[in-house]
Amino acid sequence: MANGKVLTGLGIGLAATLAFSGCSGAADDGTVTLQMVESLTNPARTELLETLIDEFEQENPGIEVELVSPPTDQADQKIQQMLQSGTGVDVLEVRDLTVGPFSTNGWLADMGPEFEGWKGWDALTDNAKNVATAGGKTYFIPYGFYGISLFYRTDLVEEAGFDGAPVSWEDLLEQASAIQDPEANTYGYAFRGGKNGYSNAALVIEAYVADDLDLENAYRLQNGDSMFAAPEALDAMELYIDLFEQASPPSSVAWGYPEMVEGFSNGSTAFLLQDPEVIAAVEQSTSITADQWTTAPMLVGPSGTAIQPLATAGWGVAEASEHRAESAKLIQFLSEGDASIRFTEGNSLVPILNGADEAEFYKTGAWESYLTMNEQPETYITAVQPRGVAWWTEWADKADAELQQVLIGQLTTEELLASWDAYWTEKWAAE
Amino acid sequence: MTTVEERPPTRAGAPAPATPAPAPRRRRAFTTRRGLVVAAFMLPAAIFVGVFIYYPMLAGSQMAFRHWNLSNLTDTSWIGLQNFATIFADPAFGVILGNSVLWVVASIVPQLVIGFALALWLRRKFRFRGLYQALIFFPWAISGFLIGILFRWMFNGEFGVVNDLLMKTGLIDQGIPWLAQPDTAMFAVIIANIWYGVTFFAIMILAALQSVPDELFEAAALDGAGKVRTLFQITIPYISTTLALTVLLRVIWIFNFPDIIWAMTGGGPANQTHIITTWMITFTQKGDYGVASALGLIVVGLLLVFSAFYLMALRGKKEVSS
Repeated sequence: MANGKVLTGLGIGLAATLAFSGCSGAADDGTVTLQMVESLTNPARTELLETLIDEFEQENPGIEVELVSPPTDQADQKIQQMLQSGTGVDVLEVRDLTVGPFSTNGWLADMGPEFEGWKGWDALTDNAKNVATAGGKTYFIPYGFYGISLFYRTDLVEEAGFDGAPVSWEDLLEQASAIQDPEANTYGYAFRGGKNGYSNAALVIEAYVADDLDLENAYRLQNGDSMFAAPEALDAMELYIDLFEQASPPSSVAWGYPEMVEGFSNGSTAFLLQDPEVIAAVEQSTSITADQWTTAPMLVGPSGTAIQPLATAGWGVAEASEHRAESAKLIQFLSEGDASIRFTEGNSLVPILNGADEAEFYKTGAWESYLTMNEQPETYITAVQPRGVAWWTEWADKADAELQQVLIGQLTTEELLASWDAYWTEKWAAE
Repeated sequence: MTTVEERPPTRAGAPAPATPAPAPRRRRAFTTRRGLVVAAFMLPAAIFVGVFIYYPMLAGSQMAFRHWNLSNLTDTSWIGLQNFATIFADPAFGVILGNSVLWVVASIVPQLVIGFALALWLRRKFRFRGLYQALIFFPWAISGFLIGILFRWMFNGEFGVVNDLLMKTGLIDQGIPWLAQPDTAMFAVIIANIWYGVTFFAIMILAALQSVPDELFEAAALDGAGKVRTLFQITIPYISTTLALTVLLRVIWIFNFPDIIWAMTGGGPANQTHIITTWMITFTQKGDYGVASALGLIVVGLLLVFSAFYLMALRGKKEVSS
């Protein structure tokens, strides 16, 4: 009797184990279920991605894809936890910020063998190929690029007596100061002093040292020093602090992405430096109409050139995935032809396919500035920031805190630059 | 709900009322067989607690002594006290420790006073009392993070309702960037926390007040005691155990409560509103679980020391008064 109960229990346990194991991986009929996790989640993007996945499933009846969409601010940590546990992820969104730590920990598969002979490779832009094959390995295929442009209020600029958008950082300071009117709740520049505030400080410094910058490592000068050690960096930072003190909302010392975009969208700030995905957000504003704003190219430094940092993200395969061939197939589907164009246009991204930027979509309205920048590569120089290093998050945290110290008067610009220079010099020396 | 035994105070000098001695409890003889049966019943619960509470706690604690950084998990070697040294060597640590103490003290005192006043008011019988109780207790049902987001917009320097009200009432001429200056930012997060935590004190104190017999108040009134004297000589002594435990619980919770600060300032500007637990979040975000675990152990240590001293002080006070 007792043995019977034990056998019954074992039978139930075995059945349960088999049932649960059927939830992922290959089913009895040979169908493979892929777990795909996205990172930069938003509802419209997820909907588009699900549509593309449906089309992929119809083309590939033996493969099913389950899309996991954690909230953006927790997504990278969730992905880390899933990768660390070694199960539950086949395809994942890899960002230029996460590729370093993920690959160092051996969590990302080198997709080289799966992508050998892939017909879509030749259609990729040089930038996309470069990013995809960093360090001789293919850890991810980018789905698009983020590029900064200057969002500005055409009406406020005109009312302040200027002919057009600012071209240089000095122009920006002049125009933003002229527009600043706190009593009317109108401010010049949507300053980023909170999370990732350091990124805009780096932009102004890069513009000031553009002629001497190492384009493969946009934090380093061609002579091997960090850009923070250059004398021009001090001029750049002083102008940037002036921009905060004379032409920005006082509370922008704490502004991150949502506050900046909100400040511009609700009509209280005249200028905003942001990625193109903000175009869609501002278009939905009920406070400013389409004829009140547009974008302008990146601001140049004293030498008349600007650095356009290349930020990107894409799709990769987990090292622990047991379905690499199927995962690669999905990534190839998303990275070529109509699917890729729809994804980049739907998310306002700079495309990865040759010729895709010649579509009408990229020639009109707020996208015109990107076309201008593409047509003048000597003025708007593309450079790669060292975002893939394992200590990037540590750097961002340190840089944000110290920039805020300058903004509230606890640190001088000289001390800030010395600290940043020492940090990078030490890190590079230890490599 | 109170879980503590509460006794009415005796008047000084009055002989203690004679209470009958409790009947001796019949003890059953302990046998090995009986012990095994008890252990067998307790085993599932013990395993559950061991697996889900003590194992993660110990596993987390040992990370504090290792290099445990998500940026490179190929090296998780034992580094002794290096993570602790990193914390103590950081110039921000002193500020953050001070902030943690300020955060607790400046939050808990107004919470206790206002919560007590609300509880006294709600104890009285009046029309729509139930509705008032529900409205006052409602904030406790909202997530702390949500409260933080709400207050972040209220204290926004340009568009916030706080500046708007102050300007309309003529108290200020121009908006104050509340969350952009260290002093005002700390003030703002504490205000938000006071608002949030008052209801907890009100709930606990109201529950305790409802256990105070009406006869005591009637007797005090007959003796000619005024409201203040009744409060300090009847009400507070009667519910002192509840008050003491509520304060202890709240100190521990507030010390470990990063939600509001995280949502309002993220610890900024320039780390000036960080408390230890929000600082710990920044380390987990950086993937440095070693330092984050070390901070976790420091928090546990500080709270253990505080709890020990607090309970000893209470016991000493009780012995003196008895």
